[in-house]
Amino acid sequence: MNKLSIESIKQDKVTIDTQDIADGVKIIVSGDIDMQDPSTLLDPLFDKVHNGVLSSGLKTVELDVTNLTFLNSSGIKAIAKWIMKLAGTEASKKYQIKILQNKAIAWQATSLQTLTFLVPGSVNVV
Amino acid sequence: MEIQESLGFIEIKFGPRWKYIAVVRAFIQNFIAVSYLDNLRADKIAMAASELLENAVKYAQGEETIVKLQLLPEKESIMVSVSNQASPEAIKGLKEIWDKVMQGDPLQAYIAQMQLAATRNDSKSQLGLVRIRYETGADMKLDIDGDKVTITLTQS
Repeated sequence: MNKLSIESIKQDKVTIDTQDIADGVKIIVSGDIDMQDPSTLLDPLFDKVHNGVLSSGLKTVELDVTNLTFLNSSGIKAIAKWIMKLAGTEASKKYQIKILQNKAIAWQATSLQTLTFLVPGSVNVV
Repeated sequence: MEIQESLGFIEIKFGPRWKYIAVVRAFIQNFIAVSYLDNLRADKIAMAASELLENAVKYAQGEETIVKLQLLPEKESIMVSVSNQASPEAIKGLKEIWDKVMQGDPLQAYIAQMQLAATRNDSKSQLGLVRIRYETGADMKLDIDGDKVTITLTQS
């Protein structure tokens, strides 16, 4: 089990695993997110990550989407919602979100960079 | 969308159900990929069709949703359209979001709409159209004829 006690999720066509990294956690999302309302899956996960990272004083969350082949706009909304939580987070508690991308997947090459503009300085895509 | 002289075309008519969207998306992706040998482009158009079909399932009235896709010889353009029937309320809502997200710089419109979406607590994102506009760079057109709504995009 990882630092935040987040269990693996397998639902519909998506698998989500959370692993420990040196100063935080890595969330690995694989498959397709094309369900009608992905917020029922993603909002509780990102709430748990956000609250857990703040209470543990962790400084980095990696979001690995290199094997996420499709994400619908409702899924993008869920990620945006998570990132926007950082806008209202006290500066000393802020953490960095690093998104690991796969440029061979079209939506990633275009949409992921836009997420960096939501809370400038808090998100980078590599 | 009239069928023009094309390198190839498909037309799919189906009763909009969520479970069929992924099937249609995969078919469109494959159709473009084997025609133009360009997977990235195929992914973009398939994404656009998928987003339009999601809207059709969520907001359309009636059973008939029609997807048309044409590969046009001029500049190897791709034209895709999705048509469905909708209620006056749904059409009004579509016009409002259309007018909002089709103006100005596509990236700025996308970011603004993402920020707005993040404040929503319902299941709607209202990101589909602005995402299509930004990610595909396509020319987009909305046609309303009575209760029939058609969204067409052309990408070169």
